[in-house]
Amino acid sequence: MSEPTPTQELVALLDLERIDVNLFRGNQPDSVRARVYGGQVAAQALIAGTRTVDSDYVLHSLHSYFLLPGDYQVPIIYDVERIRDGRSFATRRVVARQHGRPIYYQSLDFQRAEEGFAHQDRMPTVGAPEEGFDLVGLMKAGGNAEADALGKEWGALDVRYLGNSRTGLTPDPQHPAQARMWIRVTGELSDDPLEHLAVFAYASDVSLLGASLTAHDASPSRTQMASLDHTIWFHQPFRADEWWLYDQWSPSASGGRGLALGRVFTQDGTLVATVAQEGLIRPLAPR
Amino acid sequence: MPRNADELIELLDLERLDDDLFRGQQMPSTLPRVFGGQAAAQALVAASRTVDPSYAVHSLHSYFLQPGDTGAPTIFDVDNLRDGRSFATRRVQAIQHGRPIYAMTANFQRAEEGFDHQEPMPQVISPEEALDARAASRAADPDRDSSRDSEWDVVDLRYVGTSADGRLPEDGEETARQRFWLRVSSALPDDPFWHVAAFTYLSDMTLMGAAFAPHGVRMGSPEVMIASLDHSVWFHRPFRADEWWLYDQVSPAASGSRGLVLAKVYSQDGRLCATVAQEALLRRRTGSGGPA
Repeated sequence: MSEPTPTQELVALLDLERIDVNLFRGNQPDSVRARVYGGQVAAQALIAGTRTVDSDYVLHSLHSYFLLPGDYQVPIIYDVERIRDGRSFATRRVVARQHGRPIYYQSLDFQRAEEGFAHQDRMPTVGAPEEGFDLVGLMKAGGNAEADALGKEWGALDVRYLGNSRTGLTPDPQHPAQARMWIRVTGELSDDPLEHLAVFAYASDVSLLGASLTAHDASPSRTQMASLDHTIWFHQPFRADEWWLYDQWSPSASGGRGLALGRVFTQDGTLVATVAQEGLIRPLAPR
Repeated sequence: MPRNADELIELLDLERLDDDLFRGQQMPSTLPRVFGGQAAAQALVAASRTVDPSYAVHSLHSYFLQPGDTGAPTIFDVDNLRDGRSFATRRVQAIQHGRPIYAMTANFQRAEEGFDHQEPMPQVISPEEALDARAASRAADPDRDSSRDSEWDVVDLRYVGTSADGRLPEDGEETARQRFWLRVSSALPDDPFWHVAAFTYLSDMTLMGAAFAPHGVRMGSPEVMIASLDHSVWFHRPFRADEWWLYDQVSPAASGSRGLVLAKVYSQDGRLCATVAQEALLRRRTGSGGPA
């Protein structure tokens, strides 16, 4: 048998073991990093929550808090609570646990498909994916000590960085902190919509918080960064293995925290998701 | 519904049943269901009372689960998810008749300094130049049912404009947009916590107007029904809820009967004080049948 591709490994990582009706176990990747990547926990929790909901209901939003650094040495338990099973909506909360302690807490809301009012922001005019720079290469060039480890862990992701407020993008006085990139999964996913939702959730935690640093003379390698919360609103179904634009901006930073918002557009200009993340951003003490 | 700051605080000043269990009363109201801002503000008070006062709330996320019954008190059950060195996290379930009607998670942080930036406040007319929102609604639609207007006496509400009515400068990306000035209509105590709680109460007002702007529909129109699905607030900088603040709302997307609104909150001197996000169910009423 041939070696699995990074995308096959990612899909396998997100395919949880069902222990009981509402209880799941997620495996760990072969990682050399100190703590579990937040997008992995978010995506695994999304899978756990969704597997307890009737397939007539489609995920339209999730809200979550990161509570403790995850430990790569042991699996993660996902404990699902059924909060509501209504006619139009179903709600779940998922607690991710390790060593008996909650490390992550996610609430998810599902809706039976219906039609109604529709509008969306227009996609900004940006360069094509081919014009972007490889994100991990940029991190390496920027002296990020974790670049190699992240490059390995994110092997399934193709991230083409278009630029930010400091370099590459035209400064916008209304948005002092911005960053834009194209992302897709390198290999092909199946047609199962859940696979695309989960892989997108995994990728949505890549670099989002970095947008809040672009207003400052601060590099990620000299800054302690930790995601505090993570929120996604899904507007339209889309494929995570085809290019999507991650249009990020940070309206505010204060008190050691930065808030970043992201709009996600497919290449044909459809706004398919909105993401919000607040994170801890602390300058590291100079050595 | 509370008519002034004193009545609002009375509404939010929960009765403590046990260390992590609280009861919130209702005020006489003609609304068919509990106002979402009330559930959110009472839940935030409950969570905050279980956290050491050296931590201040910096964000909350919540889902509305069932319509609240204005005839019964609400129980707030608080879970401790984390007490860390820098952060503390709480989950609150609001319960009526044995069922959760609302669930909130809130995060608290010990004060620290760090990077600072914010998006600038847009150029807008002052609250004094803006129209009183209720008078404007009556003028725009003389047949509108205004019998419930006094339910909202706790807020001063001035209408600035929407992307559809020509009152706001052109937006290059044609974003759906709406702006209001708001404040609590009488003085709150100086304790910053009451300003956070009072703001949370008010933050559930007017938001979905931004999502309706591109569709030629007014909030409160009998043509549509609205139900808040979730509500999130990130608190950036302390501010007084009883002094004017600008509610600068955009709706990046609506689809599948849901509209998403993101809003920035500015004090009159241009400080970005909070960001709010809410998704709501927006349904056009068809025939005589009510929403399902």
